[in-house]
Amino acid sequence: MSFLAGIAASITSGIVGSYVVTKRIVFISGSIAHSVLGGMGVFLWLKRTYAITWMNPLHGALVAAILSALLIGWIHLKHKQREDTVIAAIWSTGMAIGVIFISLTPGYNVELMNFLFGNILWTSTTDLILLFSLAGFILLATMIFHAKFQAVCFDENQAQLKGISVTKYYLFLLVLVAISVVILIQVVGAILIIAMLAIPAAIAGSFSPRLSKMMGWAVVFGCVFTTLGLMLSYFLNWPPGATIALTAAAFYLLNLTRNYKSIP
Amino acid sequence: MAIKSNNIFFQYEETPILENVSFVIAPGEFVGVFGPNGGGKTTLLKLLLGFLKPQRGSIEILGTSPKNAREKIGYVPQISHLDRQFPITVLEVVMMGCLDKSPWHSYTKDAKEKARAALQEVGMLDFQDYSFGTLSGGQTQRVLIARALVSKPSILLLDEPTASVDASAEESIYKLLERLKGTMTIIMVTHDLQVMLQKVDRFVCVHRDVVSYSQAEVCDHFAQGLYHPPLKRN
Repeated sequence: MSFLAGIAASITSGIVGSYVVTKRIVFISGSIAHSVLGGMGVFLWLKRTYAITWMNPLHGALVAAILSALLIGWIHLKHKQREDTVIAAIWSTGMAIGVIFISLTPGYNVELMNFLFGNILWTSTTDLILLFSLAGFILLATMIFHAKFQAVCFDENQAQLKGISVTKYYLFLLVLVAISVVILIQVVGAILIIAMLAIPAAIAGSFSPRLSKMMGWAVVFGCVFTTLGLMLSYFLNWPPGATIALTAAAFYLLNLTRNYKSIP
Repeated sequence: MAIKSNNIFFQYEETPILENVSFVIAPGEFVGVFGPNGGGKTTLLKLLLGFLKPQRGSIEILGTSPKNAREKIGYVPQISHLDRQFPITVLEVVMMGCLDKSPWHSYTKDAKEKARAALQEVGMLDFQDYSFGTLSGGQTQRVLIARALVSKPSILLLDEPTASVDASAEESIYKLLERLKGTMTIIMVTHDLQVMLQKVDRFVCVHRDVVSYSQAEVCDHFAQGLYHPPLKRN
């Protein structure tokens, strides 16, 4: 079950992470990933305080991720000069809201700790269906809109000149990032999402001159890192999310060394 | 008229960039655009492309608004505006010139053929599978010109295509533009006044307003950043 969850997460992180790395919006993705804590905190508080049983912190994460993605995207497109400050503000505001609502929530919040640091070992069949459905949606959206996403990521002016709505596609791309964040929460947790979103794609980028091939390689690397990370966490008795992130980081360092040596 | 600007005014926040700008460019003309940094050259290009709207006045491109005329415009940006580390092949860059608005669009076989023909035209067909980031400055510019030409535009806008390229690459770009001269309206931002003197039909200087100069009226002072109205010569 955990290995399958890792594969779903790798498909997502490989595809969306490649756009994130090439468009250089890793920091934006970090802000979306951390702001989900607010949504998770609010939904958990509502669930426990008002006994709304259908509410799940993951639903709150999805709402918060999409809202912050749209807000950041709008600021990026309309008010570029203040972008970095606003990204940092959304990052910290989301976390602050989360911390406050967690403190107001009665009982011991082990559920939230799993979402914060990930616990792929707890993946249920329902989770797996959700993960693969969301990964399938991302794959389908990419197959349909790849030419547009590529144009918006590479040269916004050219895309605009050809009549493509840069605003629409950029916001859609950020919504895909938001969905990926929710998928990856399950695997590595909100705090370590950036590792899975950026590292496999960053390594893949040094292997391919084409974005589509880069995505393929990034999916492969993601699968290797999650599988290897899971096995290491089992033998070392380490937390799986952090072990997966560390495995990815170790390969990234190795790849940097390889690139450094290849510079004449 | 290919382009008609009528008394346009544009400012960023409180800073006026262009004031009372009126000019006309005829179909098939080759116009060199020069002026000081911050004088409004890039803003003027963005207005012509419809990326910006003038606060006052109007612009007509081929009898319609810049936004509606975009499909008839080819644009060659400065290479410094593009990410050289982006994983994309030369052919993919040129095919971007064939993009259309429909949401389900992906590149067709026809788009690939058109892109290859455009690369052939600029002498870069052998590089179609190369990574865009590995090209030299001159090769990059020729690929961007191919991307602008692939949709058979009526107007070609170039933003300093010879900046940061070596002398031989510069020469090949000029030869290419000379071949295109007369087949479409060409507007090229340049700082290379002496070289362009014999190539363009006329110059316009953008420095808050737009002043037109014939070849004979271009003064040596301009190369030193000393701009003045056309002098009457005996």
